[in-house]
Amino acid sequence: MAFVVLKNLTYLYPTSEKPVLRNLSFHIQEGEFVAVVGPNGAGKSTLCYALAGFVPHFFKGEISGEIEVNGRKSSESTLDEWVLNVGLAFQNPFNQISGAKYTVFEEIAFGLENIGVPREEMKKRVEDAMSLTGIGDLADRSPYSLSGGQQQRVALTSILVMRPRLLVLDEPTSQMDPIGAREVFGVVRKMAEEGMTVVMVEHKVEWIANFADRVIALKEGQILLEGSASEVLTSEALVENGFGVSRYTSAAREAKKKGLWKKERLPVTLDEAAEGFNLTRNA
Amino acid sequence: MNALGMYVARESGLHSLHPLTKVLLTLLFITAGLTLPGNWTGYFIVAFIVFPLAFWGRVVSNLFSATWKVSLPFAISVILIHGFFWGEGTPVFEVGILSPKWEGAIFAAISMGRIILVMSVFLLFSMTTRPDALMITLKQAGVPSSIAYIIVTTLQIAPSFQRKALTILDAQRSRGLETEGNLYIRAKALIPLILPLVLGSLMEVEERAIAIEARGFNSGKKETSLIEIPDTPLQKNIRRIVIFSIFGLIVLGVLWRL
Repeated sequence: MAFVVLKNLTYLYPTSEKPVLRNLSFHIQEGEFVAVVGPNGAGKSTLCYALAGFVPHFFKGEISGEIEVNGRKSSESTLDEWVLNVGLAFQNPFNQISGAKYTVFEEIAFGLENIGVPREEMKKRVEDAMSLTGIGDLADRSPYSLSGGQQQRVALTSILVMRPRLLVLDEPTSQMDPIGAREVFGVVRKMAEEGMTVVMVEHKVEWIANFADRVIALKEGQILLEGSASEVLTSEALVENGFGVSRYTSAAREAKKKGLWKKERLPVTLDEAAEGFNLTRNA
Repeated sequence: MNALGMYVARESGLHSLHPLTKVLLTLLFITAGLTLPGNWTGYFIVAFIVFPLAFWGRVVSNLFSATWKVSLPFAISVILIHGFFWGEGTPVFEVGILSPKWEGAIFAAISMGRIILVMSVFLLFSMTTRPDALMITLKQAGVPSSIAYIIVTTLQIAPSFQRKALTILDAQRSRGLETEGNLYIRAKALIPLILPLVLGSLMEVEERAIAIEARGFNSGKKETSLIEIPDTPLQKNIRRIVIFSIFGLIVLGVLWRL
């Protein structure tokens, strides 16, 4: 039995005229790291809200089909129960700061206070989560005094500390520098290896290829492609449908037309590209 | 602007008092100022209780400048209204139809005493009480979490609103919006400022609701708190006396006026 099951999910926001998600179905296994890519308006954020229970419990609107996590149906659960198993961090970190806390340490503890974790355990969990995401040095700073990238790390840590079974991330690295974003991918990978199931919307295709187990390409609320990162992210269909692709994939595709790329599959990452072009050079 | 609205981080005895003690003292001073007889009670409490407390809390200069800034608009309107539109009385001077009266000026001064009292007591409370400690205290006192959250975050709305307004204004200016010049130009500049500000704030509210909900805000479980708020038996006794005094003052205030 898959850990996350979407069955024919169709969803229409109360204020919109056409559905944002259309007949969407997929399965995710426990501990799997799935990346979701897609152009603007593909329904990526709505999918995140649906997995995290906010669609339809918070946004209302018309929904059909089924969302199941760990054998429980979203339609038969309340949002308050749902969030105990599913964590959500989204793009704008500023709006994810509770506004009721004085330091980063207290901010991260906010969720644990809400679910009644005892004080000593709370301290331990906050410290562990902060060292995992590498923000231990920010503990005593005000959350408002941080940069966008640092705030995003705080937002991610605030969710990780809750230890959700399913972690849903909607562009969690959009304001980070490249090194910071790479570190976050590493942290998420590690969580998946420890058994947390992860769904992450991201545009940074090279790192998706490096870290994710599987990629879902979403277009107009439907799955366009689904499969391993190198299958999906090198597909011609992505270019035709206006998805962002890795510069290494584009370069190799051009090279292939001129007979300068010898391998069967196109590269996504720098390493794959280097390997392929070395073959050409040595040939 | 800092993240915690008006809170001024200092090490002081007043800062370390239990928030509930300070809430009750705040109510006591205001009740006393409004019920005790005597026209100048407000000024008296400000001078002999509020400012000495501020001295203890090491926020005298902050309190002075904030009280001044907040009270000034009230002072101007009160003095204008009572000074110039007082019916019968001894004129201070007469210029055309303008003839401010001494009686009006005195009444305005008495009213100002009450306004300054209320302002300075609230400001002193906000400057010396951490919002998060207040939130925990309110919840412990039985106030529902959502109400406590609203009270505490509302204290921070003004700085956050101001920050956002300035960002939007800068963005509009960089696209050529005129914001300086005569009154008409300035008024026109408000339109492209207000719409994004209001819509943006509504969206922010929605996202913030999602974010705190995702962190179990309504989980229905018994909440715990990371920080411990120190309390003492002495403070508990003081609070009992304060509650008793507030009710006593209200009763006396009513009796005196009968």
